[in-house]
Amino acid sequence: MTQVARPAPRRLDAFTLPSETGNERLALARVAGTVQGLGLSEARLERLKTAVAEATMNAIEHGNGNRPEIPVEVEVTQNGDEIIVAISDQGGETHAGDGDGDHEEPDLVRKLDGEQSPRGWGLFLIRNMVDAMDITINGQRHTIWLTMRTGGAAHG
Amino acid sequence: MASMCEATTRVLPGAAVIELSGEVDGSAADVLTDAYQTAVGTHADLSTVVLDFAAVDYINSTGIALIVSVLARARAERRKVVASGLSPHYREIFDITRLSDFIELFPDLDRAVSQLTGPAA
Repeated sequence: MTQVARPAPRRLDAFTLPSETGNERLALARVAGTVQGLGLSEARLERLKTAVAEATMNAIEHGNGNRPEIPVEVEVTQNGDEIIVAISDQGGETHAGDGDGDHEEPDLVRKLDGEQSPRGWGLFLIRNMVDAMDITINGQRHTIWLTMRTGGAAHG
Repeated sequence: MASMCEATTRVLPGAAVIELSGEVDGSAADVLTDAYQTAVGTHADLSTVVLDFAAVDYINSTGIALIVSVLARARAERRKVVASGLSPHYREIFDITRLSDFIELFPDLDRAVSQLTGPAA
């Protein structure tokens, strides 16, 4: 039997950002530049950018409590046809996760009727933008993993 | 945080147009609320509010929440909200969030206005 060696994961970039509102735009731009040319269609790149921005915003606000001295860590890895973006903060188990601490699935009808906060779209958007989303917690370290396949057509 | 969003409002027969530019995020709350109030404040009979996103380059989840709030207020006031100029990516987000079930989407402002105000005489 012939075994085909799978390439080892390759780290493409790693950087940190102060936990300040607005820095999600920096993360978005840098990740977009890093993955440019790796085979993501324009539409899927836009989805990844939105997911990175939302996950970074969550890390800044709900993980690190908008404390600039606590950095958000971003790492971009390529593993075969997968691009994986890991965004880490120090929110641990108490990570609020999404706007207003609202963990309910957002329901627009209920929001329009005033039964749900208008906010609470962050995790929902992330889940719908990428091919896979995972969350790991190791002590205080909270990491959200965003996976996008370069050749994939999972979402068009 | 200073808002990177700007809004220009104009009133047409039966409809108000709010042309947004820049970034629709949490910092845009006052801009959007003021623009809506300006649009409908002196024209209580307006039946439709057009939100034009042609010059918007970024909308995030808190921006979506602001749009939900505008839509909720408009519905309570029995006004229709339509949107124009969204990029394909943000049209997809309007679909995913179901905003497009409640906000009719037009490719551009001209088509929205011509549909709402009828053919030119």
